[in-house]
Amino acid sequence: MTTAHDTRTRIAARTEGATKIYGSGHAEVRALDDVDAAFAAGQFTTIMGPSGSGKSTLLHVLAGLDQVTSGEVYIGDVSLNTLTDKALTLLRREKVGFVFQAFNLIPTLTAEENIVLPLTIAGKKPDPVWMEQVVTTVGLGDRLEHRPTELSGGEQQRVAAARALVSRPEIVFADEPSGNLDTTSGAELLGFMRMAVRELGQTIIMVTHDPNAASYSDRVIFLRDGKIVDELLEPTPDGILGRMKGLGA
Amino acid sequence: MIKAALKSVVAHKLRLGLTALAIVLGVAFVAGTYVFTDTINSTFTTLIDDVYQGTDVVVRSEDPGFGVEQVGLPESLVDEVRAVEGVGAVAPSVEGIAQIVKDGEAIGGQGPPTLGFSWTDETELTPLTLRDGRAPTGSGELLIDAATADGNAIATGDVVTIVALGPPEEFEVVGIASFGESDSLAGATLSIFDYETAQRLFNSEGMVQTISIAAAPGVSPDDLTERVGGVLPQGVEAISGADQVDETLAEVAEGLSFLNIALLSFAAVAVFVGAFIIYNTFRIIVAQRSRELALLRAIGATGGQVTWMVIVEAFFVALVASAVGIVLGIGVAAGIRGLMAAVGFTPPEGPLTIEPRTIVVGFAVGLIVTLVSALLPARRASRVSPVEAMREGGSPPRRRSLATRAITGTVVAVVGIGSLFVGLFVGVSNAIAYVGFGALVTFLGVAILSPLAAKPIAKFVGWPLPRTIGVTGKLAQENAMRTPRRTASTASALMIGVALVAFVAIFASSISASVRASIFDNFPADLSVQYTNFAEPGMGGISPDLGRQLREIDELESVSPIQFGQFRKSDGGIAFVTGVDTATIADVYALGVQSGSLDAAADGGVMLHVDTADDLGVTVGDTIEMEFALTGVQSVTVDAIFERNDLNTPYMLATPVFHQNFTSRFDQMIFANVAAGSDLATARTAMEGVAADFGNVEVQDKGEFVAQQEAQINGILALFYGLLGLAIVIAVLGITNTLALSVFERTREIGLLRAVGMARRQVRSMIHWESVIIALFGAILGVAVGSLFGWSVVTALADEGIEVLAFPWVQLAIFIVAAGIAGVVAAALPALKASRLNVLEAIAYE
Repeated sequence: MTTAHDTRTRIAARTEGATKIYGSGHAEVRALDDVDAAFAAGQFTTIMGPSGSGKSTLLHVLAGLDQVTSGEVYIGDVSLNTLTDKALTLLRREKVGFVFQAFNLIPTLTAEENIVLPLTIAGKKPDPVWMEQVVTTVGLGDRLEHRPTELSGGEQQRVAAARALVSRPEIVFADEPSGNLDTTSGAELLGFMRMAVRELGQTIIMVTHDPNAASYSDRVIFLRDGKIVDELLEPTPDGILGRMKGLGA
Repeated sequence: MIKAALKSVVAHKLRLGLTALAIVLGVAFVAGTYVFTDTINSTFTTLIDDVYQGTDVVVRSEDPGFGVEQVGLPESLVDEVRAVEGVGAVAPSVEGIAQIVKDGEAIGGQGPPTLGFSWTDETELTPLTLRDGRAPTGSGELLIDAATADGNAIATGDVVTIVALGPPEEFEVVGIASFGESDSLAGATLSIFDYETAQRLFNSEGMVQTISIAAAPGVSPDDLTERVGGVLPQGVEAISGADQVDETLAEVAEGLSFLNIALLSFAAVAVFVGAFIIYNTFRIIVAQRSRELALLRAIGATGGQVTWMVIVEAFFVALVASAVGIVLGIGVAAGIRGLMAAVGFTPPEGPLTIEPRTIVVGFAVGLIVTLVSALLPARRASRVSPVEAMREGGSPPRRRSLATRAITGTVVAVVGIGSLFVGLFVGVSNAIAYVGFGALVTFLGVAILSPLAAKPIAKFVGWPLPRTIGVTGKLAQENAMRTPRRTASTASALMIGVALVAFVAIFASSISASVRASIFDNFPADLSVQYTNFAEPGMGGISPDLGRQLREIDELESVSPIQFGQFRKSDGGIAFVTGVDTATIADVYALGVQSGSLDAAADGGVMLHVDTADDLGVTVGDTIEMEFALTGVQSVTVDAIFERNDLNTPYMLATPVFHQNFTSRFDQMIFANVAAGSDLATARTAMEGVAADFGNVEVQDKGEFVAQQEAQINGILALFYGLLGLAIVIAVLGITNTLALSVFERTREIGLLRAVGMARRQVRSMIHWESVIIALFGAILGVAVGSLFGWSVVTALADEGIEVLAFPWVQLAIFIVAAGIAGVVAAALPALKASRLNVLEAIAYE
């Protein structure tokens, strides 16, 4: 597995001196403080940290949902700083996939329609072979014609994950994807995500506060007060817990 | 969180603001109607006070006449009255209708009448004062009012043509008069002649209309009234000036109350549509706040308290909105005025009058409608269960049984349609009330049923969207279908407006088609002369001299003038009667005489339409009673019964008989045929050569006659469209409101769509199309309901001359397309708001 961290590995996303400041004067909050981070392609990276550490902000600026106050953010070789809303929309459509903690699906569309949504928005047809593979991997089988309200929480999140993968994005961003799931469903989803990285070569960046969830990833970076303070490769739940304690979380 | 709270407040303002707008517009219409009619009323009050200022006693015929038919007095009474002790000044008045024509153009007459008076030197007994020049003396001189002079660049010394009951005559303007303080009499044109000239022009030799009397110093008006009354013959009475003022004002008020009711019924439509919007908004607001309400319940608020909270909110919205509406009513009054002027009726002008009653009614309407509309949603709010506070994302809406809704809606709709049909097809006395109530209840029934249709119709209407514009269209279609009740009540408001517009269109096109059919089938007349002024029969018409002149034209034959008048039937009702030339009418108007003969009627009998004869149960040879203002009750023999009623003339008299019973000598229209050996163009040129001098007439062939009838119908149609326009505007605002609330509710969903790559343009398009679907749904329902109304009303009126049911398909299709465009307009703001949502905040939104 060391090859995955080889310096020759392609970088899927990175930040250079990324700083994000909310408010001003007395109420100023530095959500990100001069963060340099790089995320290798084909790797499953988790961002962890206590509440208010800036982990979600880092995810948002990487995904082009939010903009840094100063510094640079790249997806591949593209700097996000100068992109217009239109260009950012196209970037999200073509290069990025999302899995949120909740409310991932459009209630009026079926599971299948939700999965292909990014493609249909772009006016494209899904590649049937790839679609088949994604759907099979997600294991929804005959539930594809169901509406989100007819699916369990675990199924809904798996649909979301399938949607994130179907357009073959460069990176999938996952924000507490198992946060609302029971242990079994959570394990299924995370197992699926890890499989997507191992077998389909997908890049995933995930934010979570659950050490167990983080242990599915290849690499964990720890944030505190907007700065990267630690990093762990090949994490285990216990190892993560130990580091977290060290951060005072 | 502060940001989220602020956003919530802004959204709150928007949704309440739009609700308030529905109330504002409804109240503004009501208030505007009152301001409009009150203004006319106070204008008249000032004028009438002016007219009778200084007049202590008025001598007049006892019979006030029907409509405007006035009965004169013998001139000899003037001297008898002058001899009464205590009489100071006496001024006889000769009045009539006189058309001023300048350079071949008729002046005025489109609404206010063209009046003619005799001049009197008794200044205290006349509202007329000389502003410029001198009083008219002898034939060939007149005064005109200042407004007419200024408005038409006429100055002292100019020559104008006057058309009264004789041939057109030239007069020199020797002076300009003002009417009391004002330039004119409520927009009427005034021509003032000397006494003898007025008598000659108005066919009143030896007659006067009224005698005004001023009391000698020290004599009380009431005593004098009594004394004057003592010397008057039967049928003539004396009335005090004050009573005369009151009586005249009461007549004006009665006329205005008709206008008032007509306008208020349009205002009622706007308010009714507004009620739907208010109901819908409060329902959505309550649903969106169910967590907040549940929290209140959880911390101990009773259901009643929650209901009250919503009601109080509604109360404040209504209070502010009603106040704004009343102020806006002044603008609406100006709008109504402009609208009426645009279709050719110019109401008199005067200072704006805002009665306390207007303000009271405005607030009452605003508050009652809002509170009643908010009541159901408020009661719903009280049923929010405390546990909903804990649930994520609120609870799914309770689904009431569709069967219950279907049954309730069907029952209500059947009651409505039933009442409508009773009013139309069963001969009940207050048919119009049945029809109005039926229409209202039908609307409610359809509104109750419409959620059942919302899903399938939205699906059907939106069907092409996913196939043409892809997922945006699919989402728009699904969004329109996802809350059928919301879609349906939003669309229902538009349904009402469109239904009425469609009904009016169908009705008008049926009248047009019927007129066309009847004129081409039943009017052999090649040419006709029409009176171009807009005046009630009796308040003007074609000088009978024109008919006399036309008869002398060789190129014409069967010149047949027609007169209109009113009489009282034996059951007390007032009806129209037509005067015809029995010798020529059959050549120009295919009456289809069934029994008796027109010639028999030439010496005094009445001719009846077959339906009228059937209703009265009479046949040829029987007698009926007709009461005329001039001659009282007359027993008239039925001499002919005819089949066709294309001019809506169920009662006809021979012209000489007509003239025996009416003072008016005006003709209303003249028909003529081209003489053998001549051709249409030559005959027409000859006819126009004579008619040109009269100014207020127009020569028309059949096609033009039809076109003119259609133009009149279209003018009224435009007025109706204008008056219904506000209801449509309110309905469109309702769509905006619902969409704004839906966008607010779907913030996260829109955020998600943006996150996975939906462009702003696509978000806007999604909202636009959803709006279009809702609008089309409403318009389709509206056209369906309007067609039902149109069909039933036209069918019911088949006997009244509307024999053809014509659906203006193109127009109806245009309404639907226009509704779709209105949908795009309605969606503009909500769509912009949706597309500008900050993606990050939207997905983090809770």
